[in-house]
Amino acid sequence: MKDLVRQNLLIHVDILDLLNKQIKQEAQSSAAYLAMASWCDHNGLVYSAEFFYEQSTEEREHMMKIFHFINDNGGTTYSPEVSNINHDFASLEEIFETALDQEIAITKSIHNIIYECRNKRDLTTENFLQWYVKEQMEEEQTMRRALELFDLINTENVGLRFLDERIKEIREEANPE
Amino acid sequence: MNTIYTSKYFAASQCDNSRRFYIDFGHKTVKFSLCQLLAFRHRLKSIDIEQHLNGENTHGLEVVSLCNREHLFVFNTLEILDLLSLVDGAFAMMEINSVIA
Ligand SMILES: [Fe+2]
Ligand SMILES: [Fe+2]
Repeated sequence: MKDLVRQNLLIHVDILDLLNKQIKQEAQSSAAYLAMASWCDHNGLVYSAEFFYEQSTEEREHMMKIFHFINDNGGTTYSPEVSNINHDFASLEEIFETALDQEIAITKSIHNIIYECRNKRDLTTENFLQWYVKEQMEEEQTMRRALELFDLINTENVGLRFLDERIKEIREEANPE
Repeated sequence: MNTIYTSKYFAASQCDNSRRFYIDFGHKTVKFSLCQLLAFRHRLKSIDIEQHLNGENTHGLEVVSLCNREHLFVFNTLEILDLLSLVDGAFAMMEINSVIA
């Protein structure tokens, strides 16, 4: 009997399910950052708003990268449904803490898929996901750097504006290129 | 034609020459490419079977279209559960086949 699955599909079927879940998670993350950007915009925090708009775009790019990886290798992808986006935040600090938690959850999810790749001997997908391991390290660093600013700067009154201006620097500091 | 897996009501097989899969639904046999089979598997796995059991899905039926709407099926709760075991069983058997091949 021919191995028709393998002839058509490079990715292990169980890993395919996990990758489709990851697509959904990246889409959810993109939408969550868009809500954060909107909150910042409304509250006059222009640099933070810009940061989260860009963050939202990046998450969509992460999603598309997986999307193409699956389709290029014979799998099927499903355009994700995104729901339950939180738009209520008490402070900018809360937003960055939420962002860090979200990134940590994604890091764990990526690591989990890699463990499964090893179980299923899907080395191609593991290799593909290594890019995400590094990316997640950088994402976490960026969010931690933002949170550190709240420890250093008193955000009452004009301090919050001062902090907002520093936000444009955190990405470059975290990812020197 | 090689039989891959047989569940209570249905049977999955593959044809090496045409490189296609076949599911025998009893009254009708449908041909699938792998992509179509994966889409069918996804459709089955997205069914909220809880709704069948807690009475939210009052009629206990699912309408499933196959292969880009070439076919339309209505399945009851038992058939859905059986189809889930069919696809899981079929992919498991194919994995075993691929390991020993
Ligand atoms: Fe991401
Ligand atoms: Fe991210």
